[in-house]
Amino acid sequence: MQLYDDVYSQIKQLLPVEASVRSPYRSDMCAPEGEKDRILFGSETAYELGGGGRQSASAVLFADIPEKQSETLLFGPDLDEISRDQPFGHVSVVRLKDGSGAQYSSETLKTIGFTVFRLYPEGYHIRISPVSCKEQVRVASSAIKKDRPLSFINVGNSLIREFLKHPEVEYAKTLFITDRDFDYRSLSAAALKVKKITDAVQSAMQLDELDCASCRMKPICDEIDGLRDMHLRKEGKI
Amino acid sequence: MPDTKTFTFAGKGGVGKTSLSAAFIRILSERFPEKRILAVDADPAVGLSVALDVQPSMTIDDVRLRIAESIEKGETSAAAQLLSEARFHLMDCIVERGNISFLAIGRPEAAGCYCKVNAYLKQIIETLSGNFDFVVIDGEAGIEQINRRVMENVTYLVLVTDPSKKGFQVVQTIRQVAQRLVSCEETGVIVNRAPESFTTDVPDLLAVIGEDRFQSKNDMDGESVFSLSDASPLFLGAKSALEKLLGEDTENAAV
Repeated sequence: MQLYDDVYSQIKQLLPVEASVRSPYRSDMCAPEGEKDRILFGSETAYELGGGGRQSASAVLFADIPEKQSETLLFGPDLDEISRDQPFGHVSVVRLKDGSGAQYSSETLKTIGFTVFRLYPEGYHIRISPVSCKEQVRVASSAIKKDRPLSFINVGNSLIREFLKHPEVEYAKTLFITDRDFDYRSLSAAALKVKKITDAVQSAMQLDELDCASCRMKPICDEIDGLRDMHLRKEGKI
Repeated sequence: MPDTKTFTFAGKGGVGKTSLSAAFIRILSERFPEKRILAVDADPAVGLSVALDVQPSMTIDDVRLRIAESIEKGETSAAAQLLSEARFHLMDCIVERGNISFLAIGRPEAAGCYCKVNAYLKQIIETLSGNFDFVVIDGEAGIEQINRRVMENVTYLVLVTDPSKKGFQVVQTIRQVAQRLVSCEETGVIVNRAPESFTTDVPDLLAVIGEDRFQSKNDMDGESVFSLSDASPLFLGAKSALEKLLGEDTENAAV
């Protein structure tokens, strides 16, 4: 889906060339499932990622995955190597199946995007602000002090498994960033741009306006390649 | 997830609901150190935070306003997004102190209808409550919150009054409204600041508490319930009432 190509390129440019960990999706290496509504109390928490005023960014975008496989990438220390609160970034990239029609259905994109809101790994309490594109995670002491501690690979696999449950999804890639020297501010700006595009897709699909000169979406269509075509295609004009 | 027991305090203004709520919270915290307690300040006067010596940086009403603003700006609208946004901010409203977590509802200061937001917040608070063994709600004076079904599922409805006729009338009104609108397992009445000669035939009487110089001094000094003397009549009355409700002891409630 080309709409997100520019912002995905920007995100890739922010990342180090090599990931600390790169792991193809394995359904047998998902995180143990926790209780849906269970919260982690301060006394149970080892540290918080992206919390307490620290930088954090979260985005789900739709783009091509040239590697043609689902995988998890980590840039920075893993969960059992972190000991205190620190900034955090998480980006999920979803590749939709060609011809599934999902590219043109704002409802499907929205449903797939909400997958991250419904992830409950045991000992890994996620909270996401869709408005500010922030993601904060409380990590339980018990989760990282086990013989086989919880890892980002486990969490990434769980998330990919949930993405792949949507029939329109071909591959999913999860990127976790914990490197303290990373440019989280720029990632946050990119995450807000992703949200802007997703919101614009939903608005474009609901608009009946066909005169670009008077349409309120014009500034966004001018900025994001492909958005105008998507709207016109929906109206049967191209 | 634990089997949550909820205590809700209701009654006329100025009868000592907040002091009794705080005393219940302290007693539960000390008697069940392994259990988790959620203290909810549902009174716009936010006195429970002072009684427990906690300072919340954000209230539920702050969250409500933030989400309402984001809806107005068109930043979010889908149910899943609203729930996620509310859940995100709700955690910032919670102040933890040992096995007690504190949450303040706050004071609605903006006009307008936020029914949709309120419905999500109510859902999330109910979900949050499921993480706790005990939830103690210090309700606002009168029957408004009962009427609005803010407190729908209650294990114990604790009706607090002073010995005045008006106080008992308010208790009676709350009792009638609650019978229609609240799912409640048990109700009980605590009469506070009663003279020695006071008697009553209220069938579900939990405690009669006399004048309390310890509590008065605590209030004047701005001290929390954790500084209150164990010999305080209010503390002893709360203890006795709690024992009756939990069925642990049935010693004479009069203090």
